[in-house]
Amino acid sequence: MPDDMRGLHNFIAEIRATKSKEAEEKRINKELANIRSKFKGDKPLDGYQKKKYVCKLLFMFLLGEDIDFGHMEAISLVASNKYSEKQIGYLFLSVMINETSDFNRLIIQQIKNDLLDRNETHVCLALTCIANVGGREMAESLAGDVQKLLVSPDSRSFVKKKAALTLLRLYRKFPEILPVGEYTPRIIALLDDPDLSVVTSVLALLYALVQADTQGYGSCVDRAIARLRRLQTREESLEGYVYYDIAAPWLQVKLLRFLQVFPAPAPDSRAREAVVEVLRSIVGKAANEPVRDKRNKQQLPQYFNARNAVLYEAVRVLIHLESETDLLVESSNLLGRFLSSKETNLRYFALELMSSLATLSFTHEAIKRHQETVVNALTQEKDISVRRRALDLLYNLCGKSNVRVIVRELLQYLQVADYEIREEMVLKIAVLAELHADDYSWYVDVILQLIRVAGDYVSEEVWHRVVQIVTNQPDVQDYATKVVFDALCSPYCHETMVKVGGYLLGEFGHLIANNPRATPQIQLQLLLSKFSMCSPSTRALLLSTLVKFANLFPEIKTDIETIFRSNNLSRNTDPEIQQRVIEYLSLSQHPNPNVMPTVLEEMPKFKERESSLLAKIREKSEGVSVDAEAAKVARQTVIVDRDRQEREDREEREARRSNPAVSQQPQANLLGDLDAAPASTGPSAVNTTSQPPQANPELAHLSRAFLFQNDGKLYEDAILQIGVKTSVKNNLARVALYFGNKSGYPITNFTSDVFAINTTETLSLQAKPVEGQLAPKAQTQQLINVECLKEFEEQPTLGVAYVVNGQLQRAVIKFPIFVNKFLASFDMDQPTFVARWKQLSAPGLESQKVFKAAQPIDVAAVRSKLQSMGFTVLAGVDPNPDNFVCAGVVHTGSSQVGVLLRLEPNRDAQMYRATFRTSRDTVSRILCDLVASSF
Amino acid sequence: MISGLFIYSHKGEVLISRVYRDDIRRNVSDVFRVNIIHSRHQVRSPVNIINRTSFFHIKHENVWLVVAAKENVNAMTVFAFLHKFIQVFVSYFGKFNDEAVKNNFILIYELLDEVLDFGYPQIVDSNALKAYITQEGLKIARTSTGAGAVTSQLTGTVSWRREGIKYRKNQMFIDVIESVNLLMSTDGKPLSAHVSGSIMIKCYLSGMPECKFGLNDKILLEKDGRSQTRARKGGAGIAIDDCTFHQCVKLGKFEADRSISFIPPDGEFELMKYRTTDNIALPFKVIPLVKESGNRIEIKVVVKAQFKATLFATNVEVRIPTPRNTAAVHVTTVTGSAKYKPSENAIIWKMKRFAGQYEAQVSAEVELLASSEKKAWNRPPISMDFQVPMFPASGLNVRFLKVLEHKLNYETVKWVRYMTKAGSYETRC
Repeated sequence: MPDDMRGLHNFIAEIRATKSKEAEEKRINKELANIRSKFKGDKPLDGYQKKKYVCKLLFMFLLGEDIDFGHMEAISLVASNKYSEKQIGYLFLSVMINETSDFNRLIIQQIKNDLLDRNETHVCLALTCIANVGGREMAESLAGDVQKLLVSPDSRSFVKKKAALTLLRLYRKFPEILPVGEYTPRIIALLDDPDLSVVTSVLALLYALVQADTQGYGSCVDRAIARLRRLQTREESLEGYVYYDIAAPWLQVKLLRFLQVFPAPAPDSRAREAVVEVLRSIVGKAANEPVRDKRNKQQLPQYFNARNAVLYEAVRVLIHLESETDLLVESSNLLGRFLSSKETNLRYFALELMSSLATLSFTHEAIKRHQETVVNALTQEKDISVRRRALDLLYNLCGKSNVRVIVRELLQYLQVADYEIREEMVLKIAVLAELHADDYSWYVDVILQLIRVAGDYVSEEVWHRVVQIVTNQPDVQDYATKVVFDALCSPYCHETMVKVGGYLLGEFGHLIANNPRATPQIQLQLLLSKFSMCSPSTRALLLSTLVKFANLFPEIKTDIETIFRSNNLSRNTDPEIQQRVIEYLSLSQHPNPNVMPTVLEEMPKFKERESSLLAKIREKSEGVSVDAEAAKVARQTVIVDRDRQEREDREEREARRSNPAVSQQPQANLLGDLDAAPASTGPSAVNTTSQPPQANPELAHLSRAFLFQNDGKLYEDAILQIGVKTSVKNNLARVALYFGNKSGYPITNFTSDVFAINTTETLSLQAKPVEGQLAPKAQTQQLINVECLKEFEEQPTLGVAYVVNGQLQRAVIKFPIFVNKFLASFDMDQPTFVARWKQLSAPGLESQKVFKAAQPIDVAAVRSKLQSMGFTVLAGVDPNPDNFVCAGVVHTGSSQVGVLLRLEPNRDAQMYRATFRTSRDTVSRILCDLVASSF
Repeated sequence: MISGLFIYSHKGEVLISRVYRDDIRRNVSDVFRVNIIHSRHQVRSPVNIINRTSFFHIKHENVWLVVAAKENVNAMTVFAFLHKFIQVFVSYFGKFNDEAVKNNFILIYELLDEVLDFGYPQIVDSNALKAYITQEGLKIARTSTGAGAVTSQLTGTVSWRREGIKYRKNQMFIDVIESVNLLMSTDGKPLSAHVSGSIMIKCYLSGMPECKFGLNDKILLEKDGRSQTRARKGGAGIAIDDCTFHQCVKLGKFEADRSISFIPPDGEFELMKYRTTDNIALPFKVIPLVKESGNRIEIKVVVKAQFKATLFATNVEVRIPTPRNTAAVHVTTVTGSAKYKPSENAIIWKMKRFAGQYEAQVSAEVELLASSEKKAWNRPPISMDFQVPMFPASGLNVRFLKVLEHKLNYETVKWVRYMTKAGSYETRC
C-alpha cells in the first residue's frame, strides 16, 4: 500500500490548475459528493482510504469550504494503531473541533486511552490534541491524567515536557479546574530534573501558577537559585544546551524572571546570599569582557545577544532586591559603557535599564554621571525608539541640581525633535520645570518658550497649569504678565500663547498698565489684533478678558462695549460667543455699579493638587514601564489625586467666573443681597430673572377665592390684570383667562403657560398659545382646558412672563382650580343619606377635622358658601337644625366619587367640626382640608 | 467623459489598454486589478470609485471590460456604450472572450480609435463600422469620394443606412423572442412573473424603404377601436409596461399616435425591446413534492406543458437542487434523462422535445450523510430552461408590417417567427 496518498496529490494538483473560482468550486463539490458517497457507502473503508479522504477534507477546509462531516471517520482514525493514521486523525480533530463542539465527548475516551498507552508517541499526540482543543469538559476529565503523566517517575522526559505545556494551556484557560494543590511539591521537585528541557517547560507552568499566587511555592526560590548557580558554574551536564558559549540562556532568563515574581528574600538570609552571588557572577563576567571585539571571531553577535538577555534580567532582579549598592553601581557603570556601543539594541537596552535604575536612590548619582552621554543619545541617535528611552531616562534623572541643564537641553532638542515625541517632550519638560523649579519666573520662562517652540504640541493641561501657578504665586504675577505681553507683541505667536496671554492680561493686566508701552488701550488693541485669527474657544476666552478689562480699566469700558455691540459679535453664528457677548454687555451695563466688580473679582487661589501633567504622563507611559513609573511617582511623593477633579474644578471656576448664564444661582443671590430694598417695593411682579419661581402668598390668597366662585379677578398689578371665567361639565373644565394691559406701554414677548408640577397624573392641562403682543389698554384671552383625571390636592401654577418698556416681568400665580370645581350636586332624602352614611363607615373613608372659624358663624353665609363650593345642602336630614348636611359627586376621569358632609358649627366656641365620608379616602382628606381652611 | 478603456482576462492580465485622456495614467489598470479582480471578497457593484477614479465594469464570458473615468460621467451612457461595444465585437469576431481579444488585438485598437474619440462615444453601429474597418485590409479602390460618403452618411438624418442598396429579392424576417421570468410559490401561486421580449428584424430591402409596424398594443387598439368599429377579433390586445426602440424608429410619431415607423438599417437589428407583466401565458407548470424523513429525502416533480397540443417545446431542462450533504441519489423517470450532478449539487433532468399538454414526471430518492451541524436544508427553488417556438408568452401579435419604397415600389416578402425562452423560471419546493 503506497503511503504517499496519490489521490490527495492529484486532487490538490487539480484544484491548483483550475482556471477560475467557479471551476474550483465545481471540482470541490464533485469531490465532496464523492467523499460523501464513499463515507455513506456500504463497503467499509480501510484505514488508508479514510486517511486520504480526511486529508482531502482538511485541505478543502483550509481552502475556506464549510466542512461539516468526516468527524466520525477522523475519530475512527484516532482509534487506529498506525501512527500515520492516528496522526492524521488527531490533526483533523485539532483543526476542526473547537472547545464547544459536541464531538469533545466522543474523543475524550479515546484520548484517555492514548494517554495511558505504553507507546510514548501516542501519548504525545494525545497531549498535543488536548492542548489544541482544550475545552472545559476535556480539562475536567483529563487534567488529572495529564498531571499524573507530568509527575510520574515512569514518564520519559519528552512526555513530561509536553505534559507540562499542556497543563499550562489548560491552566490558563480554566485555572479553577486544575487540582494543583496535591501535586505542587512534585511539580516543584521537577525543577531539579536532570533534563533541562523539562525544567524549561515546567518553569513556564510554574511561572503561570506563581503569578496567580506565590503562596506555597516558597521552596521554589531556593531550587531556582541553586539551579542558576549550577548553570553559571556549569556543574551539570549541559549537553546540547550551550548556546554560543552561554549555558542555556533561555532557562537562565526564565529563572531570573521567575525570581522577580517572589518577594525579595530577607536581607542576610542564605537565599539572598546565594542569589547575590549568582548575580555578582553574571554582572562580573559581563563587566570583565570587552563590549564587543570585532577582531575576535569567536565572539559572534549571538553570543552577546544571549549574554545581554541574561544580564538584562539579572539587573532587573537586582533592582527587585533593591539593596546591593555595590552591584548596582557596578552594573550602572557597565550600562554606561554600553551607551557608547555601536549596537542600537544594546543602547536601547542600556537606556531602558538605566531609567529603571535612576529611580533607585542608590544608583541615582551613579547614573547621573552619564547624563552627558544620555543627552548625546537623545540628540544624535538615529533610532526613534532609543531616543524615546533616552528621554525617559533624562526625565528620571532630573533633580533639583541638574534641572536647568536638562531642561535647557530638552528645549534645544525640542526644536528639531520628531513630531511623534514632541507632545511627550513638552509634557515632560513642563513637569520637570514645575517639580524642580526653585524660581517661578524661570518656570514661566520655560513654559512660554515651550509654547513658542512647539505650540501645537502644548496640550490644554500645560497652559492650565501655568495659569494655576501664576495665580497661586503672587510674586511672579508681575513678571509673568510682562513676559506674556512681550510675547504677544511679536507678530507671530501661537494660539496657546494667546490663551495664556488672554487669561493673564485679564487677571493681572493692571500690574503692567503703568508701563507706557502697555497701557490698557495698547493691551486691548493687542488682543483684538489676535482675535480674528483664533478658534472659537480662544475667542470666547478673549471675550472674558475683554469684560475683565472693562472692569479693570474704566477708561476703555466704552470702547469695549462698542466692540461687544458690533454685529460681528452680538450676532455671531457661534452660540457660545454670542451668548458671552450679550451677557457680558448686559453685565457691564448693569445699573448697579457694584455688580460688575463683584462678579469679576480676582480669581481665588487654586487648591494645591497633584499636577495634572504628572497624571497625563503616567497615562502616556502606561504599559511601557509601569513599575518603574510607579516607583518614580512614589519617590516624588506628590499628593496622589486624579487630575480629572482638578480639571473639572478649574473649568467650573472658569465657568462661574466668565459665564453668568451657567451660574445664575450665586449671582442672583448676590443681586438679591445688594438690591434688597428696591426689590421689596414692587409688590407683585418680580423685577428680574432672579426670583425663584414661587407664588406670592398674597396672590395665593386671591386665587383661594375661586374656591367659591367661578369668575372673577385672579391677579392685578400696575401693569397686568388677569380675569378668569370657568365653566365645568363633569370632569372637564374650561378656564378662560383674560389678560389686560393696564399700563401705557405695549407689552411684548407675552407668554403664559400652566404647569402642573406634581399633578401630571391627576390633571391634564391644555393651554392654547396666547398672542405675544398686547397693546396699551388692550385685552387678550387664553383658553385652558382642564381635565380632572383623579382627585388632586395641589393647584397647578400659572406662569406669565412679558417685556414691558424693555424690562422683563414675570409672575407666578396659583391657577384657580380645585377639586370641588368638579363637584356636582346630588339630592337625597334622609333615609338614603343615613343608609349611605353608614355604608361609608370604613376607616379611612371618613375624615374629620375640628377647626376655629375665621369669621363669626352666620348660618346663611355658611349655607351659601357651601352651595357655592358645589355641595348640595340637604334640609331636614340632621336632627339638629344648626348642622349642615351636604352631598355631592366628584367627577374624575377614572370614577365618580360620592361625597357626604356633615358640618357642625359651635357658636359658643366659634368652632366647626367637619366630617366627610366619601367612597375614596384621598377625596375625603382633600375636601376636608379645603373646607377647614376656608371657613 | 471616459478616460480609458481596459480589457482584462479572467485572471486579471491586461489584454487591451487604451487611454483617451491624460487625467489618468496607464497604471490605473493595476488599481482596478488589485481592488476589484483580486479583491478578497466578491465585488458586486459594477461601479466602483477608487481614489477618485470611477471604474465601470461588466464581465462577459471570461473577460472583464472596464472603463475608467475621472470626471463625473453618466453611468448609463457608459454601460450602454459597453454593451454596444460587445455587440460590435461579436459581430466582428463572433465571440467576445480572451482568445478572440488576443487574436485580434490590432483590429481592436483600430476599432477603439473609432468608437471613442477623446472619451466621447462615436460610431458604435457595427454595420457602419464594417464598411470602413475591415478585417482584410483596406481596398485600394476606395477613393476620396468614399471618405466624403462616410461623412455625409454618418452626419445625415439616416446615419444607419447607406444609399443605393439593392437586392433582387426583397425580404424581411421578424423574430419575436420572449423570455419568461417566474417565481412560483410552493402552493402554485405565481409570486412574480414578467416577460421581457425583443423584436429582431433581418432586413434585405433595396433603396430607402419606409416601414410601418403594427402590434396588438392595447392602447393603440383602443384608440383605433372607435374608427374601426372594434371589428378585429384578435383579442383585446396586450398591455406593454415599457419599451425601448432602435434609433431608427421615429419616436415623435410613436409619441403622437403610437405607431412604429422607421427606415430600417441594412441587415440584422433589434427593433424594440419591451416588458409585460399582465396576462402572461405560462408555458410550463412545475409541481414539486418533497418529503424529508431523517437522512432521506424523496422528491417527486411533475412538469406539465400548458400550451396548445400542436406546439412543442425543445431543450427542456429541469434543475432540482439537492442538499449539500447528499451522499447518494437514485433517480427514475420515463421521459428524457435525469442525472445527479454532484459538481452542481443538483439533479438535472433533460428532455429534447416536450409536446403541448403533455405531462412528465421524475422521482428521486436522496440519501444524506449525517453532518456535525444540524442545519435545516433551505430548499432552493427548482429552476427550468426551455424553448417554445411559435408561442408568445405575452400574447403579443404582429398585426402588420407595411413597407413603402416610393422610387422602386417593389413587393416585399415578410416572415414572422415567435419564440419563448425561459429566463429565470423558478418554482419553490
